[in-house]
Amino acid sequence: MRRLVLGTMLLSSLAAATASGLEAEKIGNVAILPPIGDHWVWVPDRLLEHSLLYDGDSGEVLAAVDSNASITPKVPLVARGRGEIYSVDIDYARGRRGARTDFVTIYDATTLAVVGEVPLSHPTSESNSSVAHIALLDGERFLVVFSQFPVTLASVVDLEERRVVEEVPIAGCAGLYAVARLRFATLCGDGTLLVAELDDRGALLRTARSERFFDVVEDPVSMVGARIGSRWLFVSFAGYVHELDFSGESPRAEPPWSLVDDGERRDEWRPGGLQQLALHRARQRLYVVMHQGGAGSHKDPGPEIWEFDLARRTRVARLQVPNLAADFVGPLLGLESGGLGHRLLRWITPNPGAHTIAVTQDDRPLLFVRNAELGVVAVLDPRTGEHLRNLEEAGVTGPTLGVP
Amino acid sequence: MSRMDAQFEGWGRLLARRTGRRSFLARVGALLAGSAALPLLPVARASADSSRVPAPSESIPGPEGDPTRCEYWRHCAIDGFLCACCGGSATTCPPGTEMAPVTWIGTCRNPADGRDYIISYNDCCGKGFCGRCGCNRNEGDRPEYHWVRSNDINWCAGAKSQAYHCSVAIVVGQATEAQPER
Repeated sequence: MRRLVLGTMLLSSLAAATASGLEAEKIGNVAILPPIGDHWVWVPDRLLEHSLLYDGDSGEVLAAVDSNASITPKVPLVARGRGEIYSVDIDYARGRRGARTDFVTIYDATTLAVVGEVPLSHPTSESNSSVAHIALLDGERFLVVFSQFPVTLASVVDLEERRVVEEVPIAGCAGLYAVARLRFATLCGDGTLLVAELDDRGALLRTARSERFFDVVEDPVSMVGARIGSRWLFVSFAGYVHELDFSGESPRAEPPWSLVDDGERRDEWRPGGLQQLALHRARQRLYVVMHQGGAGSHKDPGPEIWEFDLARRTRVARLQVPNLAADFVGPLLGLESGGLGHRLLRWITPNPGAHTIAVTQDDRPLLFVRNAELGVVAVLDPRTGEHLRNLEEAGVTGPTLGVP
Repeated sequence: MSRMDAQFEGWGRLLARRTGRRSFLARVGALLAGSAALPLLPVARASADSSRVPAPSESIPGPEGDPTRCEYWRHCAIDGFLCACCGGSATTCPPGTEMAPVTWIGTCRNPADGRDYIISYNDCCGKGFCGRCGCNRNEGDRPEYHWVRSNDINWCAGAKSQAYHCSVAIVVGQATEAQPER
């Protein structure tokens, strides 16, 4: 009887709430993702061990994908045709100890539900940025995963069968770069590049090696490459662009060209950062984070992003990196974006520059700009250099960005 | 006016705190991995002979003599948290961690005697990030395909757990030449 009275009272109060204008809402709703947008970007975080997915137009977070890692989560890969997202993950049985397992987690690209998992037989590699440690080959049938120690190889994952179908030995090499539907490349410690070709089932058919095209001690190329069709571009510490052409059976290196002229070289302008290259394929524009520094400064952040016309191999613009320190601190202080306090903060705070960039591939592109130590990502119009907005509360720290 | 002063002072304090915290949180020295091929590594060979290496002079005033500073002379190619800030020292891992046997090397000049020394940057592993005294200096650092000189790799790969905690900087020998650089 008492329960009935209480129930009646509860119903009465609910009815009152409805009468005052609020409808009762359903408990248990879970959002789904819309179709993959041209202006989306992944923002991985080392400490939070996940990658946030932002909409670069609205600045809002759409979702997150977890990824345990000892150093840096690898940027998730999106297969639009398959409607799936892949994360290469590491886990231990007891937090940070116990048996280690490495695996590919497969998510549905709409619900983000885990729909599959592929165990890997070898420990996956990790580095400061883990750039180029995984690659999705053209056609989205095969995913390749880099393992460096104790054996150096590329595991070939068949996404149709959801299993590893091949392990390609690549001793002395590092990084994986998709070249075609059944081909991928890797940079090698003798200054060459190795390309592996698979058959339709993912088994290794043959490998081919380029001529030696750079000096690994005197002026090495960074692990960050930029692809345009059958070519990959790599940039050396001193600012020389090495273009590799994969249209033939063996990779062929073009004569290198310089990002800087003699005067700029004397002034010590050089590329630097942690993901310092981005390329817009349709516009044939290469973007490079640049700074002034000497030997050993190749991971320093830069105050400028230089834009190059690839066809003419000339610089067409120097974009300024916004003051990300002020833009990170401003919201913490409750300062209105663009207001007097925020402008003052930008004026008094040294600009730390950027380590990392990524660009979307549509005809109204966005350029994302990140400093690895600040929880904010700037969104620029690469055609004008205009600072459009920020992606705020973008985690704590991370050296990479990824456009799906 | 006094209110404005107070506001600026508050911003300054907050900025200093945030910047400091970010620095140590973020410069999560990289490093990972490595292992089975250890006995073949030059570093492993150098370690075997380390008892015959003359000890360098460490009586250096200022940051170049302070193992809790990024400027410390041995740290010319370090990328990670300094174990001297984490319960260990420049040559000792903190309690409860494991020193990875394989590593990357750098060549650093000791300002006390003007000599160049080969430095082994072993990672201490088995716990999460120490989070203190994060440093990233890259003199002589090379990309991962030249792995013995790459500070980006997680060198805990050679330990039981690949969880990275901090890095030490151990003298393993005198160098016959300075670091080649460009």
